[in-house]
Amino acid sequence: MKGQILVPKSLTNEAIAERLTSTALKNIKKGIIKKKPLIYLELNGCSGNIISLLNGQNPDFEYTLNSMVDLCYCNSLMAAEGDRAIEKLIKAMNEEFILAVEGAVALKNNGLYNIIGSWQGKPLTGLHAAKMLGERASHILAVGACATHGGVSAAKPNPSQSVGLQQVLPDKNMIKLPGCPVHPDWFLGTLAHLLLYGEPETDNLNRPLMFYSTIIHDRCPRRPFFDRGIFAEKLGDQTCLFKLGCRGPVTRVDCPTRQWNGHVNWPIGDNTPCIGCAQFGFPDAMAPFISYDTTRVVKNE
Amino acid sequence: MQNIEMIRMQINYLVTQSRYDINTLSTMSDTSVNQQILQRLWDALSTIHFLTEWLVNQEKASYHILPSQLSAPVPSWNLNQGQIPSITPLPNTPISQSNQRTFTIGELAKFNGKNGRPAYVAVNGIVYDVTTNRAWAAATHFGLIAGKDYSQEFASCHDGKQSILATIPIVGRLV
Repeated sequence: MKGQILVPKSLTNEAIAERLTSTALKNIKKGIIKKKPLIYLELNGCSGNIISLLNGQNPDFEYTLNSMVDLCYCNSLMAAEGDRAIEKLIKAMNEEFILAVEGAVALKNNGLYNIIGSWQGKPLTGLHAAKMLGERASHILAVGACATHGGVSAAKPNPSQSVGLQQVLPDKNMIKLPGCPVHPDWFLGTLAHLLLYGEPETDNLNRPLMFYSTIIHDRCPRRPFFDRGIFAEKLGDQTCLFKLGCRGPVTRVDCPTRQWNGHVNWPIGDNTPCIGCAQFGFPDAMAPFISYDTTRVVKNE
Repeated sequence: MQNIEMIRMQINYLVTQSRYDINTLSTMSDTSVNQQILQRLWDALSTIHFLTEWLVNQEKASYHILPSQLSAPVPSWNLNQGQIPSITPLPNTPISQSNQRTFTIGELAKFNGKNGRPAYVAVNGIVYDVTTNRAWAAATHFGLIAGKDYSQEFASCHDGKQSILATIPIVGRLV
């Protein structure tokens, strides 16, 4: 970072992406880094993360796929289907690969609540696939709330007995990217770092520090309102949303400075509280998402 | 109108300070100091944002400015002090005149943060005020609601760390 904080290098997202892209391409050309196979597994969840990733910029998803990795398996994006798709998955498993997993692992009835295909005439459960692939992967990325800690899939009453990926692979190192969904930059940036410089530095919960180091509250543009005790009473008020139940003070991620949908805006910028989707324990531990009865005073109650 | 002039002076002061900081940043290479300067830049920017938003709101509502709402002063810092304070005020001192009040568990339950009431929680017999504690937005904290005794929860989640409790104002004792 030294010497790069200010001029002459531009620090816009586009400029950083261009430097990342050109470094990666240069290193691939020189043979310093090689394109690596990537298996993207979708387990018990809503596929929201893959949708979010398609909105990626800097690096964008197409660039990442074409220049940095060989996507061997991804049931949302691959052309093959049925047995052919599973064949590709099994074949890819025999070489070195990076595993990215979104969605939780459903444990109930030995994993039968989440079937991702059929292999050798039997249903292939998410539980089986997660264990089998997780044991062989060179690096594991747990993508989104469900994969990192169970998330929405594991919310009460959790009928499928869903758990995070680490629970079925207790001895494996994995990089965790909580968020519902994950921001494309968090995933693609971590992947780019992995390929260019190895595993990024992480905190004690295995989250990359480059994205998850700061509490939202500490970078919130409405922080001065909090410090002066000026609180919003309803959605749409342009002051601190603390009294409505904002979870920014307990959530560690870079939304205030990164922003969403092409770095355009984020919940608090649009006058709705943070619901703590990137915090472990979401959604149960972050409920209720909105409260009005803290500020509304009822007389003669 | 005098207040508007004061706010303008505050903004001008912050802008001058930020220009100075940017200049310092471009010449300094000490990472630890740079971090502090960046933090101060961020804080200055947030305060400028706050002041301009406030001015616009005032203009819209054509109110007279209440000096009390602007009571938090913009601190003046000296770089030679080594540490740059943030604009966050220090937590209130736990010693206050009313902190000897006693609560039964039933009385405590009324202080649940609803309807504008304060939010209190008890840990190990002491009742704390979490109304404006940042981890207790809308008087809830990781699924817990205010107005209860959370001695066990505190012990299991926070490992009994007294340093966390030391920053929270005390309002009384649970009997």
